[in-house]
Amino acid sequence: MSEHRAQGATGDGRMLIGIDVGGTTTDAVLIDGRRVVSEAAVATAPHNLAGSVLRALDCILESIRPTQVQRIVLSTTVITNLLAENKAEPVGLILLPGPGANPSDYGLPPAHIVHGAVDYRGREIAPLDEAGVRAAGAALRAEGLSRVAVVGKFCQRNPQHERSAKALLLEESPDAVVECGHMVSARLNFPRRVATTLLTLATRDHYGEYAREMSRALRERGLCAPIFVLKADGGTLPLDYSLRTPVETIFSGPAASTMGAVALAPPGESFVMLDVGGTTTDLALVLDGQPLLASKGARVHDLLTHVRSFAVKSVPVGGDSAVRAHEGVLTVGPDRMGPPACLGGPFPTPTDALRVLGAIDLGNAEAARSAMAEVAVALGTGPEGASRRVVDALASTIAGEVETMFAHWRDEPVYRIWEVLREEHARPALLVGVGGGAPSLAPAAASLLGMKCLVPEHAAVANALGAALSRPTMALTLSMDTSQGTWVAEEDGRGGRLEDLRLSLAGAEHMALEMLAARAEEAGIGSYAGDALVTHSEVFNMVRGYSTIGRLLDVTVEIPAGILNDWSAAHGE
Amino acid sequence: MANSADRHSAHSRSAPGASGRGRAAGPTGLIFFPAFDWAISPTHPEREERLLYTRDQIFEEGLLDLPQLAEYRPRLADHHDIARAHFCVPSIEAQSTEAHRIAAGSTLVLVDALEKADIANGFALVRPPGHHAMRVVHGNRGFCNINNMAVMVEYLRTVYGHRRIAIVDTDVHHGDGTQDIYWNDPDVLFISFHQDGRTLYPGSGFVEEMGGPNALGRTINIPLPPETPDEGIHFVLDELVLPVLADFAPELVLNSAGQDNHFTDPLANMCFSAQGYAHLNEKLRPDLCVLEGGYAVETALPYVNTAIIQAMAGLDYSHVIEPDWAPDKFTLKPSVKRGLESVVSQLLGIWRQREPMVEAARAKLGDHYRRQRMVFYDTDMIEEHQEELVRLCRECPGFITLSTRAEQAYNPLPSAFCVSVPIQACPRCAREAAAVYQEHKVAQKHDYVLLQDRLRDRHLRFHSATQEEMEY
Ligand SMILES: [Zn+2]
Ligand SMILES: [Zn+2]
Repeated sequence: MSEHRAQGATGDGRMLIGIDVGGTTTDAVLIDGRRVVSEAAVATAPHNLAGSVLRALDCILESIRPTQVQRIVLSTTVITNLLAENKAEPVGLILLPGPGANPSDYGLPPAHIVHGAVDYRGREIAPLDEAGVRAAGAALRAEGLSRVAVVGKFCQRNPQHERSAKALLLEESPDAVVECGHMVSARLNFPRRVATTLLTLATRDHYGEYAREMSRALRERGLCAPIFVLKADGGTLPLDYSLRTPVETIFSGPAASTMGAVALAPPGESFVMLDVGGTTTDLALVLDGQPLLASKGARVHDLLTHVRSFAVKSVPVGGDSAVRAHEGVLTVGPDRMGPPACLGGPFPTPTDALRVLGAIDLGNAEAARSAMAEVAVALGTGPEGASRRVVDALASTIAGEVETMFAHWRDEPVYRIWEVLREEHARPALLVGVGGGAPSLAPAAASLLGMKCLVPEHAAVANALGAALSRPTMALTLSMDTSQGTWVAEEDGRGGRLEDLRLSLAGAEHMALEMLAARAEEAGIGSYAGDALVTHSEVFNMVRGYSTIGRLLDVTVEIPAGILNDWSAAHGE
Repeated sequence: MANSADRHSAHSRSAPGASGRGRAAGPTGLIFFPAFDWAISPTHPEREERLLYTRDQIFEEGLLDLPQLAEYRPRLADHHDIARAHFCVPSIEAQSTEAHRIAAGSTLVLVDALEKADIANGFALVRPPGHHAMRVVHGNRGFCNINNMAVMVEYLRTVYGHRRIAIVDTDVHHGDGTQDIYWNDPDVLFISFHQDGRTLYPGSGFVEEMGGPNALGRTINIPLPPETPDEGIHFVLDELVLPVLADFAPELVLNSAGQDNHFTDPLANMCFSAQGYAHLNEKLRPDLCVLEGGYAVETALPYVNTAIIQAMAGLDYSHVIEPDWAPDKFTLKPSVKRGLESVVSQLLGIWRQREPMVEAARAKLGDHYRRQRMVFYDTDMIEEHQEELVRLCRECPGFITLSTRAEQAYNPLPSAFCVSVPIQACPRCAREAAAVYQEHKVAQKHDYVLLQDRLRDRHLRFHSATQEEMEY
């Protein structure tokens, strides 16, 4: 699969499509590279996602030929929903924890513990207990589990134990599906690697079905452009390639909104992204045009993972949150009792409050007023007064969360002197509101925070726009140990003997960039490899006694998140 | 300082636990500051690599994701914070690099978190270390310039109003710097166990070193023979350290948590294990720990630090086993056990007699005590000559004056006259100390005249050549 980069091409029929399949609505936009041609929002049918996508597509494709479309990007909640509905596949877990924490302190699902250990430098400190692996495999078979995750502590630095265990398991049950931790993530943090491996196996089959269904639906409409999915880190990945690690697509909704806000805000701006949805409001921090990544991976339900993700804060309040008042005390959310009263729902909501105040023009004004009147009685005021209090409550909740987010960002731990001394990044002064509820709520929150507010054109479909305009991302970490003469490319478990033991850090960076380019080519995004940056680079001299016995080099390179060039160029000045 | 009163009651000794105190509610606060961009020299034990494998182990264990732990960001200690603990010659700026200020500042972040009751206890896993840095600092001693522990103690006392504090130094080397700073302070109990000073740097820490005349018995040194295993250290802990702590009833127990008693440490000869260290921490239940030494960067530190963090956080540490260790690897030899029994009984005797000893010393010495001594700075090859005069007051621990002259490779370094006013100073001592400081500014016998007024938290530096006075 290869992608054609539509350099500078506009007005010649090269179209991009972005689709965000959300819990309540499915949004779609059609872009000619530099401007929005059409946009649509339809209700999501939870049990027919392909149908929802097709209905949205039909709305935006009226004016063009399907063959004009060059690229389609989907952002999806399918993984989130699978997990929320407990529909993920059961997975057996075999751990090789070695010395350290008691595995039961990690809060992971029950696991078979097998003896065998590797240390922080990837050296074997206890051989793999092969009989233990076979016994665990037999026990899992007896439980009827055919999907097995095998994860060892520090196995990303030496995958031999995981590989041997996998081979042993497949020898006994050739039909089993075994995934190793080192193939899923290379970052330090064993329990997160376990969780990520587990989720990968638990969702891969369902995700594959979804991917096939989407491809079929899009092909049916005559769309033959390459299909991409958006990941939680705001990067796109070819749909086929995403089948390997479906869990990366979790939380692509907030990532889509964030990237949409980046596309719609002035280039290079620092701001807080506020996406006001039906029942949740998402917040993200964008610094100099670059969304802030979570320093560790995303939390997926009750599991902490290695999934690279923007540092998004979700607050359980939105335009559809239930509003209640009891003895003068007002609460907003976190639950939803249905659509807003002005749209025929059973309960007052912030949307109704905004309708009463005339901030929006949606649905039935009288229904909104009578719903708010009940709240007003309990608060001892009139419908306008009650509505103002609802909006203030919501805005102050959001403002409080923005403050918390700033505090977390400021208090992020650091491990080097220069990082402690570094000048603090100025706190952004701009709030960019996107999503359906933004036009009315974002200004209220901004004024509480003393920030400027921008609700750009197309804010309502910023998520679909963000999906349509996001560029691919990819990361690779290369670790080398010159005293052992070894290297490991962490994300794909490849490794070998180092030819040049005197390799400089610059040489290691060069090697990492070349390997990343090869992987990008393989994934069909080779044309973006030139954008790769070195994001982390360290070298430690290893000293024993008083002489240097070798060096440890560690380099991370990545193709960062960003907006497609045509759009940026057109909206640059 | 209403806040401090709450802390005192939170640390009352009613709850169970080996040291008589229960673990407060809340997570364990951790500052991990490996200073990956700082070294004394490229191949020095105190180099960038020291906590690299510890980072790998702690991060790989996922410890910082657990609700039982809260990680904090370090900050720089102010010169003012350092001035409470040290007389730096010629200046604090000259003796403390940014790395030192961050290591010291990290302890202060944890103090703030503890005082707000955001954490139950805390561990500053930081470098560079500090416990060989004495009251006067002309340079680096035993890899230390700034005594992180003392900076923390003075912050606890000045900002949060604590009074009685116990420091337990579990580094293999005698904590001679911390001992020096609290030598005359009856409200700070300093206990150090370490490999016998006849066999290891800094060559001090004998039973007979038990504090200044007004604070006799509040310095307790427990020399241990080389190759003492877990069992030996726990014997000392159970029979001496914990009973003395229970008796002293401090508001806070602080731990200088050096890790060089480990059986693989290249600079010492003891046989302690990760399990031994974790169990020690569990019994001691320190409110705050500060890393000191420990130079087996691969074979000890990743395991010992992991186990200590787990012990502090109330997590199971029994799975932290070094690859080349087994429970029966080291045993306590009967002869060593007998030696320890004798040291313990001698020190318990001194502890019980501390008040009569103070009375006897006062009766004999009158209103002041004078001593002269030489201090050697191994890292920087500096030889310092000090003359110390302690006012023996009945109302307070008395103020201290120090005249210090030092030379490095036969070249004289700047001299200083130092006046230290204790935080408990009575009005008369405070008045007299101020007068002595003024007299020496005029006398022009030293390059610098320094005032450390802990009572008013006011710290001055007078430069004789320029006649300029500045406040830290
Ligand atoms: Zn030491
Ligand atoms: Zn006095």
